[in-house]
Order: sequence, then structure tokens, then C-alpha cells
Amino acid sequence: MKNHNKKFDLSVKGNIRDLLAFKNLISKRSKLIQKASNLPKNDPIKNLSRKLHPEKQTLVISEIREETKSTKTIRLISESDEKKTAYFRAGQYLSLKVQINGTVITRPYSISSSPLDSLYGFYEITIKKAEDGFLTQYIWDNWKIGSKIESSGPEGNFYFEPLRDLNHIVGIAGGSGITPFRSIAKSIINGTINAKLTVFYGSSEEDDIIFYDEFRKFEKNFPNQIKIIHVLSCEEVHLEGCEEGFINAEIIQKHVDINKCSFFICGPQIMYEFVENELAKFNLPYKRIRKEVFGEIRNPLSIPNYPKECIGKTFSIKVEMGSLLTEIPALATESVLTALERAKLAPPSRCRSGSCGFCRSALISGEIFVNPFDDKRRIADKLRNYFHPCSSYPMSNLEIIVPRNR
Amino acid sequence: MSDQKFNEFYEVVIIGAGNGGLTAAAQLALEGVKVILFEQHNLPGGFATSFVRGRFEFEGTLHELCDYGPHDNKGSIRRLFEDDLGLQVEFVEIPEAFRLICTDINDPINIVVPFGLEDFVAAIDNAVPGSKDSLLNYLTLSEEINEAITYLTESKGNPEKDVLLKKYKSFLKSVPYSLDEVNNALKIPQQAQEILDAYWIYIGIPTNRVNFTFYSAMHYYFLTRKAYFPKYRTHDFSTALESKIRENGGKVEYNTRVEKILVKDGKIIGVQTSKGDKIQTDNVISNASPTILYNNLIFPKEEVPEIAYKFVNARKHAISCFSVYLGLNASAEQLGIKNYSYHIFNSMNTEKIYESFKTLNSPMVQATTCLNNIINDCSPPNTSMLMITTFFLPGVWDNVKSEDYFNIKSKIANDLIISFEKALNISIKDHIEEIEIATPQTLSRYTSAFQGSAYGYESDPWDSFIPRLMAMNDEKYIEGLEICGGYSSQGVSYTNSLISGQISAFLTLQKIREGE
Repeated sequence: MKNHNKKFDLSVKGNIRDLLAFKNLISKRSKLIQKASNLPKNDPIKNLSRKLHPEKQTLVISEIREETKSTKTIRLISESDEKKTAYFRAGQYLSLKVQINGTVITRPYSISSSPLDSLYGFYEITIKKAEDGFLTQYIWDNWKIGSKIESSGPEGNFYFEPLRDLNHIVGIAGGSGITPFRSIAKSIINGTINAKLTVFYGSSEEDDIIFYDEFRKFEKNFPNQIKIIHVLSCEEVHLEGCEEGFINAEIIQKHVDINKCSFFICGPQIMYEFVENELAKFNLPYKRIRKEVFGEIRNPLSIPNYPKECIGKTFSIKVEMGSLLTEIPALATESVLTALERAKLAPPSRCRSGSCGFCRSALISGEIFVNPFDDKRRIADKLRNYFHPCSSYPMSNLEIIVPRNR
Repeated sequence: MSDQKFNEFYEVVIIGAGNGGLTAAAQLALEGVKVILFEQHNLPGGFATSFVRGRFEFEGTLHELCDYGPHDNKGSIRRLFEDDLGLQVEFVEIPEAFRLICTDINDPINIVVPFGLEDFVAAIDNAVPGSKDSLLNYLTLSEEINEAITYLTESKGNPEKDVLLKKYKSFLKSVPYSLDEVNNALKIPQQAQEILDAYWIYIGIPTNRVNFTFYSAMHYYFLTRKAYFPKYRTHDFSTALESKIRENGGKVEYNTRVEKILVKDGKIIGVQTSKGDKIQTDNVISNASPTILYNNLIFPKEEVPEIAYKFVNARKHAISCFSVYLGLNASAEQLGIKNYSYHIFNSMNTEKIYESFKTLNSPMVQATTCLNNIINDCSPPNTSMLMITTFFLPGVWDNVKSEDYFNIKSKIANDLIISFEKALNISIKDHIEEIEIATPQTLSRYTSAFQGSAYGYESDPWDSFIPRLMAMNDEKYIEGLEICGGYSSQGVSYTNSLISGQISAFLTLQKIREGE
């Protein structure tokens, strides 16, 4: 179509005027620029950004409460000038930085307090002491009132979203997986969330139940909105009104209408496998089951398809981080992220579950095993050899480029 | 981690790994220049990014890429990616421009606007009989404009006056005017103009202000070379560029914010970052806007001349985006979503709609894409993805309280979903499996764009790309500093920002080689 009307000659305000307008354009531009203000400008939306998503928050422990023999709730207050902690959505987590003998590691902890509390300048997190966990042991020994903790802003996608979820939230919690549901319950009570909540809470024994009294009070005062069903797996059960065994399809169906609720699961890795199999019996659409990421896998051998022949092997990783080139040892059974932390390189990390992508790094050479359940990489990253060190294990010597932390 | 810091000389420092910063760094690394690219975020791409939620990987911002073109009619971006930089990125062709729906009962429109010059004219003439001749004139003019731009590029900014006056007179005459002014002069019927103008939301100012020449140049690329989309989202070419830079010896450093550009006697001497890097350099290419450069980065402040503040304050930051990303648990076909791209307006009055960008009320416009209609397997079987985008002017979100923020964004998202359902007479709400909502705050957070603006400076005729290019040399206030990206002389858009990076690389290279 190249033919049309070649003689066409544009005239907007007349030939001469149009050409003059062109000729005068630059002097018009100069005049407009000369007339403009010479004052510096600021960028107010950054204030909102900083409030919602601070790069880091320096928090101070103001209170430590014992919840059970192995669980503590830690209240963290803001050190900022405004005495405000970043607002969040109930169910989100904080990635806390812990420095142990020069090694900087991070751990994600769900916030157990309500979002409204953050406006008054505090968060609560609730930590269960792991039997062989060197990190929780460190926390037990060293975190005291007045200790300073560096935290990320609120992170994660495990929250009630009214445009997506049904307004009956059914929480399935195990152990310290109850923490986000305390936050959700409080949000329902204070009107931040318009929904009702039923929690199935699995514990191995009565003494392990976290927030027992608090949830009873919630139930008593808000019987139409909050309900908790304790499920105990120990042999002798004395607790009144509780269910015995594990949270299974039968127990769930007994208490809720499975077609009118959205399921939210948070607990230890082993619980997910069991509960997912149980929920599969209901044949629910994906949208009605939401899972919180549970942090780094303690034992990668439990991942199906983990290459067993690598067990016990140690590899060498050539790491480029900023201007630093170094070589570090790495066990096949620990994540690349852990190896980087152990080498005191302070790599970036947040979710430790392969999903947030904050540790995204380039794999230049070598083989890795990526946990298929935690492989939330972008397609292009998979194709172009980028990986998330928190969910990847070395299967040979590696050469990698890791971003410096912020 | 003091041992991770950079303390050396680089020939060029690039600020920001957006489209322009990435192509600038890739071009320079390819030329063997010692180059380092700093990015404050942890990913390449800036706006050119994607994210994963559940079973879905959503595109961050791109609707369609202009001037990519098929193999046998390569556009500037395909030439840049394939021929100049040697990238391997898979693209798919988009079948038609968009479905335009106006829900105003006094001015109802529902038409598929095709690519291709003939099809385009035929479609509009069919909707608005009698518009054909004026549209042919529009296309003749657009063709001349594109030839003129090619001539300007080839003459490297030194065109011959005689040639311009003889061969490209109509082009010259279009430059001072708005889209409305020229379309009226061409006597294009009002309703035909409304259809023709529907890309205005990709530039973000009403048709009585947007420069005709800029608009028609872009439009002509769409008509003649169609539109394309990267098969694995824009993150794919961002990552391909990142890898290419490293492959050729360049450095890319994330989580690192440039805090100071050190200037002495009007010349760049170095750069300092949030990670404590101290780089000596004579050259900076900035993907950050001039507003950010002069207000925050140039150090000491006395090195910023008064005119530089005036230069940035004379201009207005263009609109920012608000996007709702939906992962749906039914296929596009099952849901009744037939097209890739929808432009849905409550009114065809562009001034009225622009006014609505100044409030947090229910949006009057949306540009919506359904990726599954061009990339069948972009999400699992029996699912689909929608990206619904509307716009706000800078400032509107500034005073939102953090405790109200989530409710406000939910409400606006809900309004957008409902108006999409109404316009197509379908129902999608019950199928939402994943939802994410990005606001101007989100854009500010991830890209650091001033005021979260997504479209650079507004391109009124006095500040469109032609006057910007004509004044470029006089508007350089710091020696060794080049601008690329959406705030460069090229003007906004994916295409222009990608190209601007390469241009700024060439200009810097020329300076380095002349100095040697």
C-alpha cells in the first residue's frame, strides 16, 4: 500500500505558519524551561513505599513470654523515629537476621500479632525451640529484653484476599504453624478482615499447644467468628472436646462445610504431605488451598528424587560476589545458601523456600539439584541457568555469581 | 563485607538495569569497554520483569512490543537483539492490535482494530463510513514521518536543511502540533479519530496535547510491523541481556544503589554506592531520570547548574500504572475471552479520562491483556492469565495511609474486574485462583522511578522526541553524563528505551575514542 496520494501536503494552520511553528519550537522550549522553577523536588510516594516496604527495620526486644515449655513469644518494638513498624497483612512474615560468631543467617518468622499493633510500633513473633536446632538454641541463650534485631519488611503471600478467597477461612496448623492464625484471628476480631475462621490445630501433646487460653477466649467472646479444633496425636488424651490422631478428611468434614471455605495450611513439612493427601480426597480446586512456605528443608534426603549417590559428598564452589572471588566448600546435603552463609559471605535471603527470589544467583558451571516442590523460579531463569541458592543443592563443583546483600 | 567492594577505574558506570541500562551495558561490553552496571533492585529489567504466584508466571508490564517485526521485515528491536547484540530470545506475533470497547451509551464502540495498513483503513471505514480518504492521507503522512526519522537517524543529528524542506516538509509541519490538531486538519471524522487515537493511553496524555509526530511514528510501526511479545515474558530478554553483559566481561551488581555521582568542574570523576563502592570514571550512563540525577545524585550539589533544575521542573512526570494480575482456573475460551488485548473506555473523551487519573475514584479506562490468546501454554491447561491495567497521575497515591492502602487497592481492583466483566458480558470473579495488585507505590518500590511514573516525561509537542533531539546538545549540563531509558530524548515506550540504551552507548563510546 505505497501508492496513495503522494502529492499530499499537510497544512494545519497554513503552510507558512506551520513552518514557522516548527522553526520557533526550540525557542518556545527554551522559554518554557527558563520560566520553570529552579527549586529541588522531592518524591513523596517514596514515603509511602518506605512505610510499607522498608529495606530493613531495626527492632528491639521489649518483652519475652513463655507460651509453652518450648515456645516463646517475642515482642519487637520499632527503633525508628516514628516508632512505627511497617504495616502488613495478617499471615505475612519477617525475615530476621541473626549473627552467630560472625556468620550472618536469616530466618523467616510469621508475625503472630495483629496488623493494627504494628501501627502502635510493635510486632510479635512466636518461636518454637527445635530439638537439634543450633539457631533456636542461640536465640534461647542470647535474645534478651533490649537485644537489637535486624528485620526485613513484612513479606510473603500467605494472607486472606477477599477478591480470591471465600469468607470462611479454614486454617490447618501444626506446631508453631499456629502463629499466622493468631494474627488472622485478631484481624477478624478487630474488623481488619471480614471473614470467619476455623482452625484445626494439630499438636503432639497437650503441653505443646500454643495460645491455648487465648484462642479459647477468642472463641468464647466471638463464637460466630472464631473456632478452634485441637487435634492431638499423643496416646493419652485428656483435653475436652478435642479430636484424636492427625488432621484428616473425616475430622475436617465433621466441623466445616468443605465447599464454602478456603483452606490455609501452615506447619512443619511432614504435616503438609499428610494434609495434602487428606484434602485431595475433597477434589477441591487449587484456588481453595493455600500453603505457607515452610522455610528451608531440614533434611533434603526427604525430598523425592534427591540424588542419593551424592549423600556425604563435599564439593567446592567458586563464588563471585561483588569484587570478591573465592572458593568455598559445600555439602551435597546442604543448600548452596547455607554454604554461602557458613563461609561468612552474608548472601541475600528472605523466604528460604525457593519462592521469593531474593537470593537469585547465576550458575556459570556445574550441576545443582533443585527441590521440585520449592522451584518457584521464573521460566527464563530456568532456561538461562539462574537459580535460588536457598532451594538448590550442589551435585558437583560449581561456579556461581551471587549478588551482594542490600 | 569490605572485601566485596569495588575500588577501581571503570570506563563507564551505568546506573539502573532497566531496558536502557541493560542495552547500554550490553553494547559497551560487546565493544570491549570496561563497564559496570549497578541496580538497586535484585533483578534485571526494571519494568521489564515477571513474577511467579502459585501455578502462574505473570508478565509485569508489557502489553506489546512495537517495531520488532517479522524475520523478513525486521524492526529496530529485532535488529538490536539479533544482529547487534546476538541475543537468542523467542518472540510471538500478536494477531491483531486490540479490541476497542467504549461503554458510553451515547458513543458505543466495539470493534477489533487490526494491524496492516489496508486492513486498518478498511476496518475503520467500515465502522465509520466515509473516513477512508482522510485515513489514507494520515497514512501517507505517517509514512513520510517514518522516512524522515530514518533520515534523521542516518544523518546522526546533522540533517541537511534542503533535504528536510524538500522531501520531509509535511513531517516538519507536523512536529509542533498535537494529535487532535493534525487529525482535524486531515478532516478525519470524529468517531474515526477516536478509534485511531486509542493508543493514547500508552503515551498517557490526552489527544489535544500528545504530539502527532510521536504518536503517528509509533502507530505506523504497529501497522506495518505488527506487535510482538517475548514468549517467556520480558524477564527473558532482561535476563538474556544480563547474561550477555557478563559473557563479554561487563559487571552487573544488584542490590546496589548509586548514591553519588562525583562531579568536578562540570565533569564526572567518579561514583559512590550504597555498598561502599568507590569507582573512578569519566562516564556515566543513567537509566535514572534527569529529575533524580539533578535532585539526588550529582555531588556536590553546587555542580548542578540552576538551568538543570529548570530543565527538569519544566516537565511533568507522566502517568503511572495500576495493574491487577489474575490467575484464573478456567481457560480463556471457557471464560469467553477471545482477544489478546482490550482497550475499554467509559468515554472516548480523552481529556475527561485524563482528569480521572487525578483521583482514586473508580477508573474510567483499562488496557487488558490475556496472554493465553497469544501463548497458548503460558499457564497450565484449563487456566488463563489476565493483566488489567489502569492509570493514575503522580501524586494521587502520595497521601494514602499504610493502613488504608490494601483496602484501596482491593476496591480499585474490584472495580476493574467488574468493568471488564460488564464490557465482555462474562463472569470471571469466581475463577480467581491467584491475584496480585501493583500500584504506583509498587512501581516506585521496585524501579525507583520518580513518583512511580511509568511513562517518562509527558510528550507535549514542545517536549516530544524531535525537539528533545534538536536541543540535546544544548541541554547537557554535566560532561560525561548520558541519559537512557524512558526519560531519554527518544521518548517513552519499551522500544524507545531499549534503543536509547544503545544510542547512549554509542555516544559514550565516541567520546571515549575521541579522548584516546
